[in-house]
Amino acid sequence: MTKRYVLVHDENKCIGCQACNVACRSENNVPESVTRLQVRIEGPYGNFPHLHFKYNRVSCEQCENAPCVKVCPTGAAYVNDDGIVSINEGKCVGCLYCVAACPYKVRFINPETRVPDKCDFCKESRLARGEEPACVSVCPTDALTFGDANDLNSEVRKLLDTKQNYQQKVNLGTEPRVYRIPSRRGGIKA
Amino acid sequence: MKLDRRTFIKGAGATTAGCALASLPGSLAAFGESTLKGSAESVASICEMCSTRCPISARVVNGKNVSILGNENAKSYGGAVCARGGAGHSQLYDKQRIVKPLKRIGERGEGKWQEIEWDEAYATIAENLNRIKAKHGAESVAFSSKSGSLSGHLFHLAKAFGSPNTFTHASTCPAGYVVAAKAMFGGKIKRDLSNSKYIINFGHNLYEGINMSETRGMMNAQMEKGAKLVVFEPRFSIVADKADEWYAIKPGTDVAVALAICHTLIEDDLYDKAFVAEFVSGFADFAKEVKAYTPEWAESISDVPAEDIRRITHEYAAAAPHALVDFGHRSSFTTEEFEMRRALYAANVLVGNIERKGGLYFGKKASKYNKFAGENVAPTLAKPGVKDMPKIDAKRIDMVDEQYSLLWSSGGIYQTILDSTLDAKPYQLHGWVMSRTNPMQTMTDRARIVKTMQKLDFVVACDIYISESAAYADIFLPESTYLERDEEVVDKSGKSPAYYVRQKVVETIGNTKPSWLIWKELADKMGQGQFFPWQNMETLQLFQVDKNTSLLNKIKADGWVSYGKPLLLREPAMVKAFSVSYPNAKPLDADGTYASQLSFKTPSGKIELSSDKVEKMAPGRGVIRYREVNMKKADELFFIQGKVAVHTNAATQNVPMLANLMSDNAVWIHPITAGLLSISSGDAIRIYNDTGSEEGHALVTPGIRPDTVFAYMGCGSKNKELARATGKGVHCGNLLPHVTSPVTGMNLHTTGVKIAKI
Repeated sequence: MTKRYVLVHDENKCIGCQACNVACRSENNVPESVTRLQVRIEGPYGNFPHLHFKYNRVSCEQCENAPCVKVCPTGAAYVNDDGIVSINEGKCVGCLYCVAACPYKVRFINPETRVPDKCDFCKESRLARGEEPACVSVCPTDALTFGDANDLNSEVRKLLDTKQNYQQKVNLGTEPRVYRIPSRRGGIKA
Repeated sequence: MKLDRRTFIKGAGATTAGCALASLPGSLAAFGESTLKGSAESVASICEMCSTRCPISARVVNGKNVSILGNENAKSYGGAVCARGGAGHSQLYDKQRIVKPLKRIGERGEGKWQEIEWDEAYATIAENLNRIKAKHGAESVAFSSKSGSLSGHLFHLAKAFGSPNTFTHASTCPAGYVVAAKAMFGGKIKRDLSNSKYIINFGHNLYEGINMSETRGMMNAQMEKGAKLVVFEPRFSIVADKADEWYAIKPGTDVAVALAICHTLIEDDLYDKAFVAEFVSGFADFAKEVKAYTPEWAESISDVPAEDIRRITHEYAAAAPHALVDFGHRSSFTTEEFEMRRALYAANVLVGNIERKGGLYFGKKASKYNKFAGENVAPTLAKPGVKDMPKIDAKRIDMVDEQYSLLWSSGGIYQTILDSTLDAKPYQLHGWVMSRTNPMQTMTDRARIVKTMQKLDFVVACDIYISESAAYADIFLPESTYLERDEEVVDKSGKSPAYYVRQKVVETIGNTKPSWLIWKELADKMGQGQFFPWQNMETLQLFQVDKNTSLLNKIKADGWVSYGKPLLLREPAMVKAFSVSYPNAKPLDADGTYASQLSFKTPSGKIELSSDKVEKMAPGRGVIRYREVNMKKADELFFIQGKVAVHTNAATQNVPMLANLMSDNAVWIHPITAGLLSISSGDAIRIYNDTGSEEGHALVTPGIRPDTVFAYMGCGSKNKELARATGKGVHCGNLLPHVTSPVTGMNLHTTGVKIAKI
């Protein structure tokens, strides 16, 4: 793997404003009934007045050990050389195994193309033009950082080296490439 | 047909939620399909999805979509855009958007419309308005508009027509803090959140009511610079969540805590005596008054512990002058807004944070900046003068009481349109021309607005959708969206001069027109064309830049031009950097600042902590004073509202992408209160009081005080034209009483309600 694209979501900076959600829809022509990306404001947790929200980014986790790829019978789901879990529409037979296998429930059938769809870090559009994913570039509070974790000088690498972070459902061994910096309120105390 | 697994799914697949409604006359759906015509290259422009008006960069993608991002040239905006801004194209080609002028053919508000041509629309309006003018005087027609670029041309028409009665949404949202600033500082003041080390916030929820540069600035101060944020708010909002400390203050008692902060600053000797001595008038009277406002007293009123108020004040003073008390935005909490906003400003003045980093400062437009620099660092913009504009003798309908004299340039008391129409106070209104404004939602007492609409002789609405208010118009004029309009160059100066401009991104869809053209063409029809001497937008823009085409081209190409170095007059490092850059700069004071140049447009030329002028205008209000307010009955709950990040007040509920994110507002109820009423989350409820009654559903959450309920505002439209928004959620304006606050003219957004499970 030449590149290892990862995304870091800083839950301290995230305000759950959905700018990322909207930008993703526009950039990737995501139909209204489905979604590639949303941030769920969950909670508040705790007891009044000691409360906190959780800002949960829900999108493809770009697993290194991706169940959707493993179950795909035709090789339509595959991992690219840049680490991005991708879909070859031509090879897809619509068996829905990948939708069922995703432990993060982020794969869906696109009602227009009838092919499984999900976040691909905007690789066909913005990444191909040398731009950052839409969600990253519009984020009002700079809560998202994207880059090649193989690059020692990258911002993502610096963040992961210096800030406490976690991934979701690591017990499943999927090795997600979406990292989260926990909110200092309600998050893991350092 | 190729039969494989995928086509099988296609047949069985879930259909997207289709809109089965017959299309409205004049809507884009009725007009037919059209592709978007526009450049694939990015065009720099200005967003209009809210009133912040962020600089954007937009381009047409494959003729069917518009990608809208922030403009990276505007550093403080960081190239970012919020959900509303990003969804602008979803409004542009929404099938429910109106793209043809309409004439009412049923009763007002009944929803029966007929498509007409622009000529007929103009002729009908001209005939009716000129008839009203001949019979009752021009002043009997009121003009109201969303503020900013949109109001300029409509209000110009009002003046040409001869009516002084022009209104913006000021008295329904921001006027409170603007009027208080005018009384104390002589004009508007800004906050330097990005450099602040300690921020005290009274429910100014910048993380949901997003103002891009301020939201970014505050987050940057918090996360990158370690600023401390203290929030007083009855609801656990996003800004409360992001705060270091949150206090669930009792609704409407913010002024008590603000005064206790001022008390502590003075009594504990924490205030900046040198600053007060040099720049402040009326300190002695203020200090005498706040002596009684101890933290213990404030605790008894607000539920905020006295020891915390005292500690927070000490922390704030220790961080000063790079610390501020946020003076807020939406200032319709109580009838004591004038005292409340002045108390918040006072807490800033006492620590001497004026024109300091992380404090409050005045905008530096080109003319002022150039004087300091001793050279023309930034070009100034010109305004076209129009000869022989009619002199208007009639008094404004809100100019009946001296106490409101600070208000008018901020837009007037909007709700006096209702008083004047229904009660002929101070005289009878007969017509209303409204542009991009939705008082049915943003004013209070909706039923009274319906009565007003029904009583008027003639109502015109210019909008993108048939808003809840536009639904009562006789003639509806469809405005082009901001993505289809060119407009004037706008001054957006902050710590140094800056300009930007709105530019067309796509060719106009359907038969809409930009509002500047609508009012110009209407003026022609009304016989007032001579007062609109500009042929088109280009001539206006060239006039603004004094025919400097290279400057205009630069503003258009970059979308954001700023000049010079940021300047705060009392910040030594900034003043030094400024004077090094400009050899002819004004000489510095002995302390290396421009402090001596600081001036205030008040009667005393100083910051007026207490004001003789105000005392004359509104007896008893010269000195900032606490007065008890009674906003609910003993057996009622406080009802408060707020902004949400995916909608703008009452303007975006029908925009498809945003409606898809949120079309409904649940009523937040604390578990204890909900338990007493046997209400669970999701239950259908009635929320009611003497003003009105609404049905909605409950959200049981610990994120609200037990004596308070909350709803995001703008939902629950009652006219069928806004198909995605109608009947969804509670309509806040239907529950809020008609009250006008002293001095500020603000309407009131806090009231009492009862809740019952249905």
